[in-house]
Amino acid sequence: MPTQRALERLQCLLAVVLWGAMAAVVSGVASGSDVSIGILLRTDPLSALMDLMLAFVGGTGLVYAVGYMGEKLVRGDLKLKHYGRFFFFFDFFLFAILLTVNLDNIALMWISIEGSTLSAALLVGFERTKNALEAGWKYIILSFIGIALSLFGTVLVYYASEQVLGVGMEALSWKALYRVSPDLNPAALKLAFIFILTGYGTKAGLAPMHTWLPDAHAEAPTPVSAMLSGLMLNVGLYALLRFKSITDQTISGGFTGPLMLGFGLLSLIVAAFFMLIQQDYKRLLAYSSIEHVGIAMVGFGVGGPVGIFGGLFHMLNHSLVKSTAFYAAGIVLLKHRHKIMERITGLLRQMPLAGLSLLLAAMGLAGMPPSGLFVSEVLIATSSYARYPMLTYLFLAFLILAFGAVIYHISGMVLGGPMAPDAPLNDRTLRFTTTALLINLAAIFYGGLYMPNFLRAIFIPATGLFGPRIEIP
Amino acid sequence: MLLLVTTFAIVSQRRLSACVDLFALQSVFLALTAAVVAFLTGIDHIYVAALLTILIKAIIIPLILKRVIERLNVTRELVLNINIPASLIISGALVILALSVTQPIKELGFLLTKDSLAIALAIILIGFFTMISRRKAVTQVVGFLVVENGIFLGATAAAYGMPLIVELGVFFDVLVAGLIIGIYTHRLKDAFDSVDVSKLTGMKE
Repeated sequence: MPTQRALERLQCLLAVVLWGAMAAVVSGVASGSDVSIGILLRTDPLSALMDLMLAFVGGTGLVYAVGYMGEKLVRGDLKLKHYGRFFFFFDFFLFAILLTVNLDNIALMWISIEGSTLSAALLVGFERTKNALEAGWKYIILSFIGIALSLFGTVLVYYASEQVLGVGMEALSWKALYRVSPDLNPAALKLAFIFILTGYGTKAGLAPMHTWLPDAHAEAPTPVSAMLSGLMLNVGLYALLRFKSITDQTISGGFTGPLMLGFGLLSLIVAAFFMLIQQDYKRLLAYSSIEHVGIAMVGFGVGGPVGIFGGLFHMLNHSLVKSTAFYAAGIVLLKHRHKIMERITGLLRQMPLAGLSLLLAAMGLAGMPPSGLFVSEVLIATSSYARYPMLTYLFLAFLILAFGAVIYHISGMVLGGPMAPDAPLNDRTLRFTTTALLINLAAIFYGGLYMPNFLRAIFIPATGLFGPRIEIP
Repeated sequence: MLLLVTTFAIVSQRRLSACVDLFALQSVFLALTAAVVAFLTGIDHIYVAALLTILIKAIIIPLILKRVIERLNVTRELVLNINIPASLIISGALVILALSVTQPIKELGFLLTKDSLAIALAIILIGFFTMISRRKAVTQVVGFLVVENGIFLGATAAAYGMPLIVELGVFFDVLVAGLIIGIYTHRLKDAFDSVDVSKLTGMKE
């Protein structure tokens, strides 16, 4: 099939282009100055950090999707026409979220987030089973409510900023907003932030607006689940962070912090309980995403250099580890054709690479040392202990509950006697999925266990956006 | 004010196609408001936004929705989660809420448009309420579009319009959203043989 090969080559080429562009942008920003193209695109350290995470996971996601959807094509679950359409939406989705983090304009950023929501809506319902359509519809309704709320919040920010900057494009620019933020009207920004928190919070999967997330993650094709967890939730958090840093400069005295902390803790608590009772491994991973978004939010809510750094580092590691977990889970799903955890044992012997990746990812997600997620959880806990000791006990208690849930469920799948092989996978599928897994694992060990210089060069200024003083431990 | 009246009318409707007509009417009023703002302030690009409102929200999207309704053969909303008088009272309460929430920032606006932010917020809240209280997929979509209209009113009347490129982007998004919803309702109909959202209960914890 010549067109399938051509599509595969195109996607791999895109992945390579993505990594190249990311390396260029990140090294540009790491050398100390913002990278900008025209007046609309500008990459500062925070954007560069997001670029790094999004482009990396997006690239491996493309490679993985080639393998995963290719397998479906070979099996005849999928027509070639739909195969092409899948990659069209998938590429559009990646394009939209990458654009989001590099736009220097709050309203255009909203448009591109909406673009990613629309393409994701089609991707979630892609398999057209009843459950997939139901998940897709839930996703559409909830995320449209969310996106409408955040648009109104954006309008309110514009309403406040045009009093200072005048009517026009400048009143929507992040850079200009940072400059004039102390002069903005506090009451307007307060109202705007509440709308934005609920709006983009829906996008980020915060409880109680998280209900679309487990369904969408469980029913979407696995590469899409990985992208939703690894990328889209982070884009929601990114938008929140930007508005937080503006609002904090306008309203002194911790208005945003307690709100974010509250949503973060609630997400962690809800997710920890639901993780215990899951039977479906993709849903388990989905709830674990809610948990980790909650943890990052606690870090941002507590604030201070350590809290912010912890939150950002947590986002980076979570997107790497979670996408690895989903890649591995997808291979399991292809092999066994069901998602019920009880009926799977002995993956480590049956499929050594997928089993090992799943085990390592689970250890990371549970926050076992020495993973990067352990580091960031400790940082967040220490910084929150300084201010809210009681809440920190609560935070730690639910971390332990979530830890137990992940380890219990995943170890049951990975350990034990091997099962009879169910459906053989073809070689091409394995080649692509293995490549994606290995690259991800390498990155987890490289970036999560020690901090390379280029990461340090972005992290320090990115954290600096949220406050003047910064010391990285 | 007329905008708010049409919003209430949508809340009180049972027939789906009337909901769509009312939405189109509301969009026309919205476009007129935008044109008035453009005339009074002399900001030209708001005229473009007004024209686009007529084209997309008063003509194209209602057409799509009508076709969906026709094809799915659903005309009446037989079961409502909340009955109509109660819905109207709740909507009234939402208007009061909107007025009180926007009170502290009202003074920022320009003389002409002081109350429009409150009206915009009221329309948004009622739109959400419609999305929650109705069970047919098509009415939920109308609710969403009403929310969108409220935001547009907020942006033009209170904040004198976003820059043109932003408006274009937002319109494009609304259009694509309308199309996607059309596709989805069609697929839902195929799979579930109904557009009653309460049938979507396959996945409960």
